[in-house]
Amino acid sequence: MNISGSYVIPVSPERAYALLQDPVVLAKCMPGCDALERIGENEFHMKMKMVLASMSGLFDGKVRITEPQPYSSFRLIVEGSGKIGFMKGDGLLTLSPAENGAMVSYDGSVEVGGTIAAVGQRLLDTTSRMLIKRFFEKLTAETSASAEGAA
Amino acid sequence: MIPQEFDYSAPATLQEALQLIAGGDRKVLAGGMSLVPLMKLRLAAPEHVVDIGRVPDLNHITETGGVVHIGATATHHDLESSPVLRGRCPLLAEAASHIGDTQVRNMGTIGGSIAHADPAADYPASLLALEAKVRLVSAKSDRTVTASDFFLDPFTTAIEPGEIVLEILVNSEEPLEGYRYEKVPHPASGFAVVGIAVRIKKSGNKISLARIGVTGLGPRAFRATQAEKLLESGADIAKAAAAVAEGQEANSDLYASADYRRQLARVWAARAITTAVSRAS
Repeated sequence: MNISGSYVIPVSPERAYALLQDPVVLAKCMPGCDALERIGENEFHMKMKMVLASMSGLFDGKVRITEPQPYSSFRLIVEGSGKIGFMKGDGLLTLSPAENGAMVSYDGSVEVGGTIAAVGQRLLDTTSRMLIKRFFEKLTAETSASAEGAA
Repeated sequence: MIPQEFDYSAPATLQEALQLIAGGDRKVLAGGMSLVPLMKLRLAAPEHVVDIGRVPDLNHITETGGVVHIGATATHHDLESSPVLRGRCPLLAEAASHIGDTQVRNMGTIGGSIAHADPAADYPASLLALEAKVRLVSAKSDRTVTASDFFLDPFTTAIEPGEIVLEILVNSEEPLEGYRYEKVPHPASGFAVVGIAVRIKKSGNKISLARIGVTGLGPRAFRATQAEKLLESGADIAKAAAAVAEGQEANSDLYASADYRRQLARVWAARAITTAVSRAS
């Protein structure tokens, strides 16, 4: 399933580039993510607990950052698997200056398999988009918090 | 498929139920039409299930002072067959008759359905068109939220931890109102690929009030306010129906792409509005 879209976050593209690769920030903003632990250069171990209404599942996986083009783009790859299924998201994030900060555009694909995909096919698209929306909402909140901290 | 082990309580009073729900990883069971399949697939594994199905008087459907009260554990069948609802809020009774199949309607409840908040569920369209309210209670609080503030995102509602849906409140419709719920059911699940709920009031030959709720199209049910305004300002039905999907994010899945869903919404909105207008007098 292909996904694409864009969000504006209220910081400079340089700052956005750094924030989007900061494991502490990513862990805080990824829905359900407990922590990211560095296991290599640009590679992190991820533990995630997804809770969505009645459904819940533990995922264990990896987050990788590849093809870094400082301040303009990089590729973010998130893979996880658990008892209820597996998922893999692979997206190119492109940053560009916008009126009120940085425009982050993403273009990529999501694959979901196992029980969760077999019963939830009807809902994968809408749920993926909601999770991405939550990620950027948290990221925006996080940027304003860190700006206040710096001031 | 066998669910993971869990504790089970069946409280006999509402107070007891609220006390139980207040503590920790508790899941409320009503009709079990959404929760039980998820538990059997182990997509849900609550530690403790609190069954509110035996709490008395939680399935009432009554009218007092121009407001219809529908208890959380009223089943879809209770709604579709209730003389009170058929007389005073026929749109919701009509929507209930479209849900799932007979077995689901005999077990599933309105409180369970809205608390689960499937983005393609049937009720939200009608509850939005009716400008309904949802009463939420916990051991410590009792508050009422509007339907538009209740449905937030797929599977996400305004219910706070420790709260349950107590009842749904709907203003009694005037007998001269026209209404219609139209739906394109998903062939496998029966959920709405697109569902349109319409209420129309006329004064003379003109539409004085239009309310349109849409489910299934986007990440959550919404009111098609642009189409409502067009109808109220005298635009023809085709023009108003064309505006139903305007600017809306649309879902896509193996069965229906986003563009196809938008087209379904336009076509079925025109049909629903036409019937509602013809029923209004």
